Amino acid sequence: MSGIDDTETPLPRRTARTGTLPPPRPLPPSLAGNTSLPYPAIGQELSELRLQIPGVHGCVLGGVDGLLITHNLQTDVDPNDLAALAATTFGLGRQVGLRLGQGDFQQSTVRNAGGYLSVYAVSSQALLAVVGEDSINVARLHLHAPAVAGRLAGLLNQVTPAGHGS
Amino acid sequence: MPNLDLALKSAMSIDGAIGAALVDYNSGMTLGVAGGTGEIDLTVAAAGNTDVVRAKLRTIEMLNLNDEIEDILITLGTQYHLIRPVTSRTGKGLFLYLMVSKSRANLAMARHQLRSIEESLEL
Repeated sequence: MSGIDDTETPLPRRTARTGTLPPPRPLPPSLAGNTSLPYPAIGQELSELRLQIPGVHGCVLGGVDGLLITHNLQTDVDPNDLAALAATTFGLGRQVGLRLGQGDFQQSTVRNAGGYLSVYAVSSQALLAVVGEDSINVARLHLHAPAVAGRLAGLLNQVTPAGHGS
Repeated sequence: MPNLDLALKSAMSIDGAIGAALVDYNSGMTLGVAGGTGEIDLTVAAAGNTDVVRAKLRTIEMLNLNDEIEDILITLGTQYHLIRPVTSRTGKGLFLYLMVSKSRANLAMARHQLRSIEESLEL
């Protein structure tokens, strides 16, 4: 089966651009699996967000590397998958920010027929993903979640220097 | 959307008006806001009052009243808050939100004017 016909006009292709990409960043060690993180305090912030906004199924705190830090999902969705999806969303947002010169990634929301997935930047290293049903008051989520993300950033920053040597 | 701006502008011209917003109660987000003060963030008011509208709609449904909300009046110590769902086909799922000062406003007049603004609203 030779699927390619040589007589067809070739599809337009983008040529590789050089020199426009930022240099690769040296990344600190992953937050995932760091035992010195204040997990009870983080868990309290996550459950507060779920309680405050009806329709939130759960929250996932993940690293920008796509690895799960902690979660409070009570559905049968795999939190590891969500942490990876959050990092994927972050990757797209970061590229958009770089290309358009709009700065750091802050928030991205995906709405499907049956619900929402919102991803918020917590720090340069961590992301907060929130899963909600379709009837959620998404404006309220956008009002509350950045404050929660800010407090989570404070909790993560307390231990990041200590975990640096690991 | 000149009509939206015009509607919010006319809502703000109601005697005693403090703030006005057009809100989507499916998401709680605002399509437009006017007025408000430093202390009053209308986007917060919109998100909060979305829950009020949803709760009432659910109650009406649970009671099998087969009716709809014409408007909701919330009386505070110093303010009246008026909520009026938009009835036109294009404005389905939206409500107008108006905050007026109790001492400066005529409630009946404010309600009447808000109704005519809602009726003339085209999106």
